[in-house]
Amino acid sequence: MGEIHVAEERCKGCGLCIDACPRGLIAFSDHMNEKGYTVVTFVGERSACTGCAMCATACPDQGIEVWNKAGRQTFENTTGLTERMSHYCPGCTHGVIHRIAAECLQELGLLDRAVGIAPVGCSVLAYEYFNVDMFEAAHGRAPAVATGAKRARPECIVFTYQGDGDLCSIGGNEILHAANRGERITVIFVNNAIYGMTGGQMAPTTLPGQRTTTSPRGRDVESTGHPLRMAELLATLGTPGFIARGSAHDPAHVLRTKKLIKRAFELQRDGTCFTFVEVLSTCPTNWGLSPHEATEWLQDNMLPVFPLGVLKEPAAVAEGAA
Amino acid sequence: MTKILMKGNEALGEAAVRAGCVHFFGYPITPQTEIPEYLVKRLAQVGGTFVQAESEIAAIHMVMGASGVGVRCMTSSSSPGISLMAEGMSYIAACELPCVVVNMMRAGPGLGGILPAQSDYHQATRGHGHGDYQVIVLAPSSVQEAVDLMGLAFELAERWRNPVMVCADGMIGQMMEPVEFADGDGRGPPMPPNDWALGVREGRRRRIVNSLYLSPEELLAHNRKLKAKYDAIAATERRSELDAGAGGYDVLVVAFGTMARICRTAVDELRAEGLRPALFRPISLKPFPYPELRRALDAIDGDGPVLAVEMSMGQMVDDVRLAAEGTRRVLFHGTAGGVVPSPDDVAAEIRAALGAAVA
Amino acid sequence: MRGTDVLFAGFGGQGMLLAGKLLAHAAMAEGLEVSWLPSYGPEMRGGTANVTVCLASEPIGSPLLTRHAALVAMNLPSLEKFAPRVRPGGVIVLDTTLIERDPERPDCTVVRVDARRLAREAGVERAQNLVMLGAYAGATHAVPLAAVETAIHGEFSGEKARFAPANVAAFRAGVAVGADAVAAAAGRDA
Repeated sequence: MGEIHVAEERCKGCGLCIDACPRGLIAFSDHMNEKGYTVVTFVGERSACTGCAMCATACPDQGIEVWNKAGRQTFENTTGLTERMSHYCPGCTHGVIHRIAAECLQELGLLDRAVGIAPVGCSVLAYEYFNVDMFEAAHGRAPAVATGAKRARPECIVFTYQGDGDLCSIGGNEILHAANRGERITVIFVNNAIYGMTGGQMAPTTLPGQRTTTSPRGRDVESTGHPLRMAELLATLGTPGFIARGSAHDPAHVLRTKKLIKRAFELQRDGTCFTFVEVLSTCPTNWGLSPHEATEWLQDNMLPVFPLGVLKEPAAVAEGAA
Repeated sequence: MTKILMKGNEALGEAAVRAGCVHFFGYPITPQTEIPEYLVKRLAQVGGTFVQAESEIAAIHMVMGASGVGVRCMTSSSSPGISLMAEGMSYIAACELPCVVVNMMRAGPGLGGILPAQSDYHQATRGHGHGDYQVIVLAPSSVQEAVDLMGLAFELAERWRNPVMVCADGMIGQMMEPVEFADGDGRGPPMPPNDWALGVREGRRRRIVNSLYLSPEELLAHNRKLKAKYDAIAATERRSELDAGAGGYDVLVVAFGTMARICRTAVDELRAEGLRPALFRPISLKPFPYPELRRALDAIDGDGPVLAVEMSMGQMVDDVRLAAEGTRRVLFHGTAGGVVPSPDDVAAEIRAALGAAVA
Repeated sequence: MRGTDVLFAGFGGQGMLLAGKLLAHAAMAEGLEVSWLPSYGPEMRGGTANVTVCLASEPIGSPLLTRHAALVAMNLPSLEKFAPRVRPGGVIVLDTTLIERDPERPDCTVVRVDARRLAREAGVERAQNLVMLGAYAGATHAVPLAAVETAIHGEFSGEKARFAPANVAAFRAGVAVGADAVAAAAGRDA
């Protein structure tokens, strides 16, 4: 029998683990933790749990650790993140994306030479969570800060973590030119189609017709344009790069996205090229949906506009693979 | 040491390399473009980093990135570009990172013109970005002094972990004069190891370069820490020059940078006629040499006035007034737009000031 | 020496900045203080280009002047603009190739130089600026002539060394014109 351990003090009661469990073995309990969240608990037969760790994979808050039937730990919290509780809303998948990025650095043995750059926006406090040397940059300027740091210290693994307002809007120029110069950095671009920190305004990636506080009747493409597809845009550049898009809305996509991020860090480690992984993420709070509904909304509405996959491989690697 | 005839912009670039700065990030703008043009070649020789940024905004943030990982670095620009750097300057000052920014001032406001001006004095000395911060500002009046102050700028930047601006005008950048560099012709030594730079950790605790303080008490504490530093800088890093002449003076001329040289010519001519002007030249615009200027003001014979002369519509004159604290009549002469006051203009103003003093 | 200065002015491309630079190099080699201040900006491309060179044994005060000890003018707009700014008793060197007008400054020593012809005779038509520099140096002896020739060799070195002799010849041709003009003026005054 497998076993999960829920760290109740970390649980925000989002329920994404409930959705994730293939056997329906997790449910809300009848009690709240000290922060007032109704915490989840294991229900059903112990023997039914396979230790697949889908629950922990979906958890944005490092709240679950898992052992399989053989008693081997199949999910352990990464040392690439600090133990600090994130400030993210319940069900926001920022936490998941933080975790998989940190796991990649840990698995590649790069934590000791990683320098991360936090943006302005919801993930402004990312420097509190990534357990590596961190900058906090001005709004949109993370790729410029990364350029300076990487050029000065090529031995470091330099990554930015940016949201859609930061990267696509105010930092549009910085990302475009960092990519075009082929800076050997890794950009993790979290796209949730809305401004989160400021309370739900229209983003460059907001979908047509999507209601936000600054597009209250839905985004009007006639006057505000279409969603900016930054991955596609960067993939058109002549400069070699690794450009990919993943999503964090369910465990299967999280695992696929983690492979993309790992690949990006490997390519940076090898000095190959600019690397960019866009990750579609949820914003239950500003979308006005439950965490569960938000994952469905992402799947139904964002995936058609922002198709997943590798959009561009560095040429030499692509040829080698062929 | 041999003298080399060099353009100010190129000499500034060379001085940076000799100071051990081999990381440059910048964007072309007249009249400072020879700095990046010189450095792109020079840094290739010494294995440095040259990045032509996509904008001055990006350039200053690249500087932040490089400084944050503990390398000596700089950018250069001219007035409109410096405006774009305001954001980054505030962040760099807040994060207490060292760097040097050259402003080869041109005439403004707006796109203005490309000819020399000193109309960024307020911008340079009053912070120019948001928030309570200060940068050290040094103003050379010759190509040689520009070279010397570049070396000093890096030294001060690291001593105080603060941005230092070398604020010259387009004339300094475009002019050729003989310069001497200290011995050695290669790159200077790198920034010594410190306890704040990010990078390869090798087991140490992680470090954060950050300017976000969401707790008002913590931010106030940070502000107080910065203020204490600025006060210490003001107490120890004032630089100025007084030419009092012989046997007292009836009027004190105050000017900086190239304008001070123009005043120098006027003062010399008037002294040859038997008049008694003196010349005070702030070299550090921030910290402004208030005590030194005050002493020079107090030494004016009788109730003689002080005359501030600038290539602007009157900015440094505010600091002259602050130094005078109402004890002297403060006169101003300045032109802007790239029209530089001539020695004759200045001489006429000094004469008028003296005449007024007599009357 | 108390110090002197000269304004070299002409069209962009006539080599005025280089003429000034050679003078500055020569003066520096002689241990003088020197400043070389060009006009800069868009007007350099096809418009007027000028440079002020100040020489002195003391540190240079203002590198920017509104009155000049000497003017070297290679086109009419430069002569018209700057001749009135030459100090009484100063020197005006003008290139008769493009300037037919008289500067109307009887109080100055005027040196008329057929720069194109002399440069052509020296073997490099482009070296008209060197002829003009020579005329200035020959008329004023602001710096020793040998120091300027050394500066010319310094400028035309390496791959460009083959141009040095003709440029020196052009300079010397100018020196002769400058010296003659001063001698003639002295004779007239006497």
